[in-house]
Amino acid sequence: MSYDDIRERARLGRYPIRGGGARRKIPTFDDLTFLTASASRYPLEGYREHCATRTVLGAKNARDPVVLEIPITIAGMSFGALSAQAKEALGRAASEVGTSTTTGDGGMTPEERMSSKTLVYQCLPSRYGFNPDDLRAADAIEIVLGQGAKPGGGGMLMGQKLGPRVAAMRTLPEGIDQRSACRHPDWTGPDDLLIKIEELREATGWRVPVFVKIGATRVYHDVRLAAVAGADVVVVDGMQGGTGATQDVFIEHTGIPTLAAVRQAADALADFPEVKLIVSGGIRSGADVAKALALGADAVSIGVAALVALGCNDTVHDFGPASYDDLGTTPGDCTACHTGGCPVGIATQSPGLAARLDPVRGAQRVANYLRALTMETTMLARACGKADVHHLEPEDLVALTVEAAAMARVPLAGTEWIPGR
Amino acid sequence: MDIDLSTTDVRTTNAALRALPAGTTARLVNPAGKHNLAVGLTEPITVEIDGTAGYYAGGLGKNATVLVRGTAGWGAGENLMSGLVQVDGDASQSLAASAHGGTIVVRGDASLRAGISLKGATVLVGGDVGDHCGFMAQAGTILIGGDAGRGLGDSLYEAVIYVAGKIKDLGADARIEDLTAEDVELIADLAKRHGFDHIDPENVKRVASAKQLYHWGSP
Amino acid sequence: MCGITAIQVRDAALRPKLGELITAMLGQVADRGPDSAGIMIYPEKRVLKGVGHPTTLATEWRLHEISGTQAIAHTRMATESAITAAHCHPFVVGDALSLVHNGSFANHHTIRRELTAQGVEFDSDNDSEVAARFLAYRMAQGDDLEKAIRLLCERFDGFYTLAIQTPQAFAVVRDIIACKPAIIAETPGWVAMASEYRALAVLPGIESARVYEPEPEEVYLWTLT
Repeated sequence: MSYDDIRERARLGRYPIRGGGARRKIPTFDDLTFLTASASRYPLEGYREHCATRTVLGAKNARDPVVLEIPITIAGMSFGALSAQAKEALGRAASEVGTSTTTGDGGMTPEERMSSKTLVYQCLPSRYGFNPDDLRAADAIEIVLGQGAKPGGGGMLMGQKLGPRVAAMRTLPEGIDQRSACRHPDWTGPDDLLIKIEELREATGWRVPVFVKIGATRVYHDVRLAAVAGADVVVVDGMQGGTGATQDVFIEHTGIPTLAAVRQAADALADFPEVKLIVSGGIRSGADVAKALALGADAVSIGVAALVALGCNDTVHDFGPASYDDLGTTPGDCTACHTGGCPVGIATQSPGLAARLDPVRGAQRVANYLRALTMETTMLARACGKADVHHLEPEDLVALTVEAAAMARVPLAGTEWIPGR
Repeated sequence: MDIDLSTTDVRTTNAALRALPAGTTARLVNPAGKHNLAVGLTEPITVEIDGTAGYYAGGLGKNATVLVRGTAGWGAGENLMSGLVQVDGDASQSLAASAHGGTIVVRGDASLRAGISLKGATVLVGGDVGDHCGFMAQAGTILIGGDAGRGLGDSLYEAVIYVAGKIKDLGADARIEDLTAEDVELIADLAKRHGFDHIDPENVKRVASAKQLYHWGSP
Repeated sequence: MCGITAIQVRDAALRPKLGELITAMLGQVADRGPDSAGIMIYPEKRVLKGVGHPTTLATEWRLHEISGTQAIAHTRMATESAITAAHCHPFVVGDALSLVHNGSFANHHTIRRELTAQGVEFDSDNDSEVAARFLAYRMAQGDDLEKAIRLLCERFDGFYTLAIQTPQAFAVVRDIIACKPAIIAETPGWVAMASEYRALAVLPGIESARVYEPEPEEVYLWTLT
């Protein structure tokens, strides 16, 4: 902790709050590299030969599993944390490329339902805006136990963002600093989660899949228990996972890196072949996607990266007042999502700021980004000789650092050595 | 229509209830504490559960009337949107959790965290409630005919709790306020409508939020 | 994470049916712990543990044929430790004290180290065993069961519903937040506790039983006369 950090706490008398994900240096997918084909393996033509990306989630119990064209989904982010324009843009982009988007801590807006072909509806501890009609209108249900930015903590939305519409959706007084629950109100522990999952299935006629999302901490046990409790899909969010607002101490000092989490989660699901795994937290490139799939994920989720594609942290010239300067931040290093003063209209509830984001143009950028990620993913898969991105396996990877080798349990490059083995 | 739960599974039972037209009545016999009975109903039908229900009886429902002729497990009437869930016996923990609308009535006692995260529904408990009743309740009304346990109304938002009996202690940010004429009228109406003759509307305590936890100060 | 059932039979006429009663109760909480199950029978001090579905195990054990005064049973959904018979509850320690736990302790590693330093030996890495060993240790130091349980509440952090039996007594306690379910039923003939009411609903005379949920951090204790 820097002296400035000490001074900030001395001034505030409480913890600093911010948005975004962990900034500290931790092992990431960048510390792995692919052993692509050569003489012992034969590559597929990068542009001509087919490489499948179709991803089916939740075929275990649901009548209508989620079928995605690409293995990259948009993570849960609330209307409230994000503007209605941002939610609409994400929905449009996901629909255009054939993937899903996810509601957040605050319920479902008609705009996002209409703009999203496949929409995952979150059931969170707060149950803000949780409505059985919306539940039935969803294509999948995600029970959220935690997220990578703050595993063990509840949601947070500062008063500046609790405008009239958000407050009404959440049944809260306008302008209060919202602190959400960290445990669900009507169950605790996997034995009761089993009953809760069954309730949601009953209420939706066993039509849609049930996901369980956890923040990556005791990953092996937590993922196993989610599977035992009946989840069709387990979503594991690593410590790099972002948030709209939370205590800085949570963001930087809880959870384990996504790189370490994915392998543990895949191990936990070895006995549950029908349960699918989605991994999130710090996914930025097609290489990240391919590596996550190789280590055992069936799909990945992106949050912060999708927002950056949408224009988060872009330099803005022509908007006049309400800028990065006003927030005391700079483009490229802005994590002031919690203030509601987002200069690019994404993480705000101010109508004036939100109007800066054109959902159609924004959606185009996000769709382009998703296409680029998919191209990179298939390119790497083809180079490894795979006709399906889901055929990537841990043996296609080696590590560049001892830490990454130990966490991902792949050999250090040029050796047969996996630390701890 | 009668459905015997000793021979019909919950999934088939709920599917049959969902198919019922408005105005019909169904009776579930031999419930034996099974979970998720009559959840997610949408039509104005009446479902009588003839015995003990497990978790989430009548949860996630709207428009319907669900009558439990015995005790109920965790989360009876959870996330109710409208309609009525009534428990003749005792209700276990998290009664009416996060319920947005409608009425949840318990003739016996309710266990811990009754009305947790309440979002607008009306909750009536004839007997006592356990600890942390009304925890983080956001909107709606809770009327307790008996005594309340520890930490009543902890972190309340705009919901209001009325207690006819004793209060063990109040939770963080909860306070006792003066009873207004409107309060008395509301309580009298609720007590009369649900046959809670033992509640004297003039003689209840009103518990609401002191609103000291609404803000942290500037970020 | 699991299902708990326990019973103390006061009516001598019912004691030959102990096995029948606990078998029926166990079947009702099988879903809460489908991995494995275990049971302790008094006064015989007979411990049965196994991996598999509780109902199948009960049949293998011919549980319904057993008679006695008390039984305490557990069905397990493993959280952090392995699914083996050694990890099954009840944990039977000291002078035939048996304990079953639903929940998850938050500071058991430290207490395990403290007890180990006092010479206490453990059979497993299970968090619930720490609670059982703690009680046995306190009782060996001269505390009675009730005092030992109160000390447990002071020392242990986390979530727990505990049922405990000794050859002469049956006790129930849960943590201050009471996050895991528990329900008690009492008649002149028996007192029983379970994770869910449906496990009590199978008992004779349940219609006229006094049924209630244990208050947080209150010790409920029944002694055999």
